[in-house]
Amino acid sequence: MTDFRFFSTDDDEVVRGLRSLYAAPAGDAYWNELESRIMARVADVELGWWTELDRWVRPALLAAAALLLTAGIAMFRAHQDESDLAVESMLASPSVPVSTAVRPALESDREARIRYLFGCNNQEPSCSAQNSKR
Amino acid sequence: MTAATTIELPYGMTSFSDGKPDEKALVIAAQRGLSEAFAQLVRLHQRRAYAVCRAIVLTHEDAEDAVQEGFLHAFKALDRFLPDQPFGAWLYRIMANASLDLVRRRKVRDADELPEAIPMPFRDPGESDELRRRLNLALTKLTDRQRSVIVLHDVEGFTHGEIGEMLGIPEGTARSDLHHARASLRKILKDVRSDL
Repeated sequence: MTDFRFFSTDDDEVVRGLRSLYAAPAGDAYWNELESRIMARVADVELGWWTELDRWVRPALLAAAALLLTAGIAMFRAHQDESDLAVESMLASPSVPVSTAVRPALESDREARIRYLFGCNNQEPSCSAQNSKR
Repeated sequence: MTAATTIELPYGMTSFSDGKPDEKALVIAAQRGLSEAFAQLVRLHQRRAYAVCRAIVLTHEDAEDAVQEGFLHAFKALDRFLPDQPFGAWLYRIMANASLDLVRRRKVRDADELPEAIPMPFRDPGESDELRRRLNLALTKLTDRQRSVIVLHDVEGFTHGEIGEMLGIPEGTARSDLHHARASLRKILKDVRSDL
């Protein structure tokens, strides 16, 4: 038959019943096994790819820094060489007078344009004066 | 158990003082990467951790899962733990969170097929099936939180404040949950008795 003593309204009976229901597994074997499972999962975390990654972070950073330094030096040298070359080519090239660089034909065009802008005519004396001033 | 095992801790620390494991030393050693120190902490706390999880989840299997998850979280967060704080309180909060997460996941998964009764907890062959069945029936009438609170308080002996911290509720709420849970169980068990 049923154990009617359990159905007492006394809290102690309820607590006793709850304790029996929620009793943790007994026996060291169970707990040793649970501990092993927990530690196996912890070991997985320790040996995870991020741990491996973590191990390579420092060498990778050093390598990246060395690479950056090398690239920086190379770029600096290349820039310096380019500047040297530009300076050398500037110094080496013969200086050309500006006047000779203007085509003679352009000379007359320019004058015609100026005359047009100032509304001058070659025949007018004021224009001739201005022209002579220029 | 291997609680009596002495482990070699680095940096001149001792793992035992007055015959008891020096928890702080173990925590510091574990933080410095000594896995045997963490194993020792697992050994020290796994029973209580299981009890906390078991009070929150519905089955023994879920409690096992939550304990493993909880220890894993604790291991990952160990660097952030201050060794001067009580390790147990910190760990049980993590266990409670892992259990609550698991309950939430189960609820989402089983939304369409809610169990009619709380599944049987871990079975002790010596226990009466009848007693278990009737108490289980009474427990189904409680809310999840009321059930957790009454088990954590009456079975595991946690204080209202500790329960409040673990479950993320005010201490007063834990107190009133306990009161309502006890009253409900008393009433339900009384009703069942009168039906027999």
